[in-house]
Amino acid sequence: MTDAPETRGLFDRQRGMGVSAYLHLPISEVTDGTEPFAVLQAPFDAPPHMVDDEGRTGTGMLAAAADSIGGLACGLACLPDWIVTTNLTVRRASSTLRGPSGTGPLRLDTDVLRRGRSAVVSRTRIRSLDGAEVATTWMTGAVLTPAGGPPPFTRPVRPWTLPHSDDPLLEQPPEVFFGLRAGGAPGVVSLDLADHMRNPWGILHGGGIAVLIDSAARSAAAGGPLGPTPDHVVSDLVVHYLSPARVGPVTATARRLGRRGHDHLVRVSLVDHGADDRPVALSVATVRHTGRRGATVR
Amino acid sequence: MPATAPDPTGFPARHAMRLLALESEQTADGDLRGWLRVAPELRAPSGGPRLAAVAMLVDSLGGARSITAAAPDWALTADLTVHLLPVGEVSELQVDVHVRRRGRRTLVLEMDLTADGATPAGLATSTFAVVPRPAHLEGLDIDRSPGRRAMSAPEPGEAPLRPYLEELGAVEHGPGRVVLELRPEVANRFGALHGGVHTALADEASASLGRSLLGGEAETTDVHLAFLEPARTGPVHAEAALVGDPAPDGSRLTAEVRVIDHEGRLCSYATTEVVAP
Repeated sequence: MTDAPETRGLFDRQRGMGVSAYLHLPISEVTDGTEPFAVLQAPFDAPPHMVDDEGRTGTGMLAAAADSIGGLACGLACLPDWIVTTNLTVRRASSTLRGPSGTGPLRLDTDVLRRGRSAVVSRTRIRSLDGAEVATTWMTGAVLTPAGGPPPFTRPVRPWTLPHSDDPLLEQPPEVFFGLRAGGAPGVVSLDLADHMRNPWGILHGGGIAVLIDSAARSAAAGGPLGPTPDHVVSDLVVHYLSPARVGPVTATARRLGRRGHDHLVRVSLVDHGADDRPVALSVATVRHTGRRGATVR
Repeated sequence: MPATAPDPTGFPARHAMRLLALESEQTADGDLRGWLRVAPELRAPSGGPRLAAVAMLVDSLGGARSITAAAPDWALTADLTVHLLPVGEVSELQVDVHVRRRGRRTLVLEMDLTADGATPAGLATSTFAVVPRPAHLEGLDIDRSPGRRAMSAPEPGEAPLRPYLEELGAVEHGPGRVVLELRPEVANRFGALHGGVHTALADEASASLGRSLLGGEAETTDVHLAFLEPARTGPVHAEAALVGDPAPDGSRLTAEVRVIDHEGRLCSYATTEVVAP
């Protein structure tokens, strides 16, 4: 992959908000802010640099968006505590993996399924603007008391946007934004932990982990190096976050376990090389061979 | 391993776990290995073990591993994912349980599935919430002595196994809808619906939806399930609904499943993939 353009401007002023700026999810609360559990929604523009030539958003980016809005719903349910994401699942609708269905801009709707003493679970439905259900995700957060207190959200949550930036990095495909680079074999993909990939706590954003896993899984299934896989889509994904990635480089290693028809079952593990190969995440993905040929996928 | 050894679970004779006659062995590094004999009554239409039975295997083995991994604390199952590979008519399924993280708040297990000793059969993962050990469980431990042993054993002279979902008492009430009475045979030690049975209901509700919409036999190939609340009052309902539409060629569908107790509480939530074999 190409090197990421130099970061500037926005990321100097908004440290820890780089992935949020890239995702550009103006999240708002459907509820009036008085209920214990917020119901949230957000449009996702699916800009051209984030989608394939059919206009389909990749599963890694769907997971990144779901992680952001789902994590917020979980966190709001725990105030004045907050949460750390422990796992995330994504399942794409079988009908939307090729062709026009499920392409273009999307809408995310999130609610909280349960808030317990130690954990909270939220669900996010992702639909296209014509109402086609594209994916359903759920995630779990462990309740914690952050040292500096929770993020300064007020309810009801209203859409907010970061100051405008003309940083060219925000117009790059996910693989470039996260600086992915191929390893020595199919299924091995790494990233260096640049500042713009960190969340407000200084660790690799969950969206970066999801994009890394998506790319490694497709590379393993396609049996080729990192790059476009026009006929391979991750149709379902579960990610267990094991420990934060603080140093980098972070490497994903994907291994094919077997196949069922057009589906490859792939196991992906992530380690933080700069932290003595500390395990960062464990993931299981299904990669579907859709039969598309000749398309370009970013 | 003598199949007639006394059952160590204390469950009723035809309990959902006991019927499977699971076996286990502690490995030298402290991990756990287990086995399920794949009787015809436990098979999916394609011939391999159906997800409901596999889920009981991994839930039971994972639960056993969590006891030592979480010690001196306790662990509550938070979620379970299972992905199955096609293996055909095998006679035995093996699971190897590995601890991938033991943190202050969570425990993560990975469980490799192998059929007849050599064929990759899938992968399961599970997260547990680590909590202080309840006082009444202070003395509970698992047998760590070497050797393969019964985790659960049928009562000698018991009637032959019927199809697994029939044994559980699951009744189909229309496409994607399954109802189950909460009896001791499907409960855990605390009287709530057993975790493996939650997953079995998700399997059967999904397969029911598949039989209706895919036009024939259908089987669930994978599940992501979050445990939300103990189901303490029955009957328990499982309701599967489509996510999107079936694949254009009618070969598969994606579903979400809600398991609801008699008081209307959402007790577990799952997404599944269903195929026409």
